[in-house]
Amino acid sequence: MSDSTPQGAPGSVTEPGAPAPPEAERPRPQGEGMSERALGRAFLTPAFVVMGLLALFPIVYAAYESLFDFDFFTRTDFVGLANYVDQLTSPRFWSAVFVTIAFTVVSVTLEFIVGMIFALIMNAAFKGRNVTRAVILLPWVVPTVIAGQMWRYLFEQRPGYINEWLGLGAIDWLGSGASMFWAVVIADWWKTAPFVGLLLLAGLQTIPNEVYEAARVDGATWTQRFRNVTLPLLTPSIVVALLFRSVDALRIFDLADIMTNARLETLSVLAQRSIVRAPQPDIANTLAVLTFVMIMGIGLIFIAMMGRDVVGEPEEGS
Amino acid sequence: MAATADTGPAPPQAAPQKAGGLRNDPRVQMGGQLLGLAVVFAWCIFPFLWMVMVSFQGTVALRDANIFGGPFTTGNYTRVFEEGFMWNLGNSIFVALSTTVISILVASLAAYAIARLPIAYKFTILAGTLVATVFPPVSLVPPLFVAFNALGQLNTYQAMIIPYVALTLPLSIFILTTFFATIPKEMEEAAKVDGATPFQTFVRVVVPLAAPGVFAAAILVFVYAVNEYLIAFSLASGDPNVMTVTVAIATLDRVGFEEPIGTITAASTIVSIPLIIFALAAQRWIVSGLTAGGVKG
Repeated sequence: MSDSTPQGAPGSVTEPGAPAPPEAERPRPQGEGMSERALGRAFLTPAFVVMGLLALFPIVYAAYESLFDFDFFTRTDFVGLANYVDQLTSPRFWSAVFVTIAFTVVSVTLEFIVGMIFALIMNAAFKGRNVTRAVILLPWVVPTVIAGQMWRYLFEQRPGYINEWLGLGAIDWLGSGASMFWAVVIADWWKTAPFVGLLLLAGLQTIPNEVYEAARVDGATWTQRFRNVTLPLLTPSIVVALLFRSVDALRIFDLADIMTNARLETLSVLAQRSIVRAPQPDIANTLAVLTFVMIMGIGLIFIAMMGRDVVGEPEEGS
Repeated sequence: MAATADTGPAPPQAAPQKAGGLRNDPRVQMGGQLLGLAVVFAWCIFPFLWMVMVSFQGTVALRDANIFGGPFTTGNYTRVFEEGFMWNLGNSIFVALSTTVISILVASLAAYAIARLPIAYKFTILAGTLVATVFPPVSLVPPLFVAFNALGQLNTYQAMIIPYVALTLPLSIFILTTFFATIPKEMEEAAKVDGATPFQTFVRVVVPLAAPGVFAAAILVFVYAVNEYLIAFSLASGDPNVMTVTVAIATLDRVGFEEPIGTITAASTIVSIPLIIFALAAQRWIVSGLTAGGVKG
């Protein structure tokens, strides 16, 4: 992981198309300012320092501390990987992994379907499209905490808004594992489908109208046009939307914490609880590392699968 | 719910035409579309309507699921203000603004370097930035909790601002890089020919041209920081003077009101209204920011 900072650029990967590299040759009088290369390094440094110090270092530190036992907040014995063995053999940990993954699969699927509908609506040309776009944006703009409190009270038994409106009797939605899970899924669905819709809308707007005209002239029905024109051309946006959403869903904390008072234990809820609600630093550090490895791992797989769609070709340089 | 909307509309004017003609009847299509839109509007707006109605209901009305039943009162709002909620709102704005300024400043520099300046390992850096956007914030909570605890920095503004900056940098850099890359190179070359140093070129030419992109990224960072709950709750929920609105709203029912739902919906309404207005006004930039972050232009 040698980053860009020190020596110049042995075999640098910069734009091949750039007009001859003049910075070394052209005599630079004193006081003309930094060269572009020096400026580049200077500009990158703060970002690297902040991310290194505040994101990378803490996780490395957590990994180090996870090798020790703790007596409250005091480090005691070096125990090697014993904390990991504890977690990886704990049903509670695996239950959190299962809940997190199940939540991700279910909620992202639902959000994708509704998000696609939203995107198609927002992309259609009709009077009042701007109002519609704004309305669809609303759930996304409200803090997750507020969405969580809203849906918590909508689901709660007393006075039982959803139960009464839908004539469901006295279902204790937030009381047990399965219904609690679905309540959180529904809240997340409501909150995040608009975001998926926006990402897909961006992709829809890049599809030229002529393609549809041509398909229509050839007599393709709406369904055929959707399946054979829209979907293939939209694939990059779909992949991006699924990546962003999946990684985000894997990190779910807010809704589970608020709607179920942390009883629906996802990985984030479990890790947060073990340092804040009931401090056990050995467990917390271990969970921090395990969560990090798992989510970064899944994220990396996604990015490797679709990297080119997002970052472009390596040699493009832009 | 919204998904099934379009199949729902029974033909309102039952004038069956030739086989297959019904689907193409513009009036039926129009009716179907309107119904679909109505479902979408209801699905998106109804929870807000519920929230606002409930926030004006008194204790008695709150025990009934009928949100249109009175008696109505502004008592919930009075209680929220007495609880010092406006101070929490101020905290949120302060934390979010500080985060935005620092994050966007640092990210703009890095993004410009990646997009334009001759630096080594450009692609690796950009790919690394993208990877960093999936960083799970919860992994920062245990080490930062221990560190801030040892340094006596728990329950301070910086306990939130510092991790927020670190967590928003990757996405800001990524979005801004996309924007900087779209600025025509000729502008900078012209400045160079006129004798501007690379730094002057950045400040005088690139920054003004990139303003819409910078604004879009800033909005996303701001919205993130106002929304953030996990870190604020974990590292700064102990001091009411520092507590942000998300933590306040999440913990209002632990304060021990008789019917916390009234105060919670009132507080939520107070926060939501400016955010909604803001979102409507900034809609275009939000969309372009998300687009730049999501898909390479």
